Amino acid sequence: MAAKHHVSGAGYLAAWIALLVLTALSYGAAHLALGGFGTPVALGIAGIKAMVVLLFFMHLIEASTSMRVIAAVAVLFIVFLCLGIAADVAYR
Amino acid sequence: MKERDHSWEVDEQFENLERQEYTARLGMWIFVGSEALLFAGLFGLYTAYRILHPAAFAEATHHNNQLLGTINTAVLITSSFSVAWAVHAIRMDRRKAATLSLGVTLVLAAGFLVIKGFEYSHHFSAGIYPGVHYSSEELTGHGPKLFFTLYYFMTGLHALHVIAGMTVLGWIAVLVRRGRYTSTRNAAVENGALYWHLVDLIWIFLWPLFYLLR
Repeated sequence: MAAKHHVSGAGYLAAWIALLVLTALSYGAAHLALGGFGTPVALGIAGIKAMVVLLFFMHLIEASTSMRVIAAVAVLFIVFLCLGIAADVAYR
Repeated sequence: MKERDHSWEVDEQFENLERQEYTARLGMWIFVGSEALLFAGLFGLYTAYRILHPAAFAEATHHNNQLLGTINTAVLITSSFSVAWAVHAIRMDRRKAATLSLGVTLVLAAGFLVIKGFEYSHHFSAGIYPGVHYSSEELTGHGPKLFFTLYYFMTGLHALHVIAGMTVLGWIAVLVRRGRYTSTRNAAVENGALYWHLVDLIWIFLWPLFYLLR
């Protein structure tokens, strides 16, 4: 718990702009005919946006391992739950 | 801990203020993780119903106003930025900037709710109510009804979190203004911000699920 390296003001600005650009990209992608790739692309971009929020706005990039583990476990269990349900419903 | 005596603000079980602040942050992360799992069940339900009724879900998504949903996404992302900026400011003892950033966050949050309210009233006028009250003549059948019931439940629960977050951040803004927090003592500001970022995170996924995937 020694002196931590804090996210800088420029870091927050960059994260904000990145989130807006990713939102615009996702909006644009939704209007292309991507066929079966539409869903993975939209959720993939949402996943990247979530990582930006978690790492920079929520400071996981400067946080201790215990906090990163808590966040990772929550994310992992949500993904497992949705994948498990998807597999069950799709292949029943 | 050299020049100033912080002993008055440290509980006896903690060695020093830094330890106490660390524990508060860790506790908040556990809370945020549990909150995320509350929404996980609903995301799971959405997954199941979307696979069972793909065409109906795509058709129902067309009814949602993509422009308003996207504007709200930008509003919420910007509010996340402004609350992050408040933490950034208080870490440097800039109380005025922190208070102002929290104020901007509250205004954006209120804007989000107003836009959401317009969307709800538009749905109501089309007979789109949740559950048994669903009476749309345009989108009939089981699928759209399931879609909109999930839509109301998930965006409604999210809106309740927005209101809770506004209450917390409003209270913190008052305390920041009164000089309660400093560059060394600010876990409460950061924890309030963490809650707000969670609200943003959930919306980042609600937006494609209810507006984009047609």
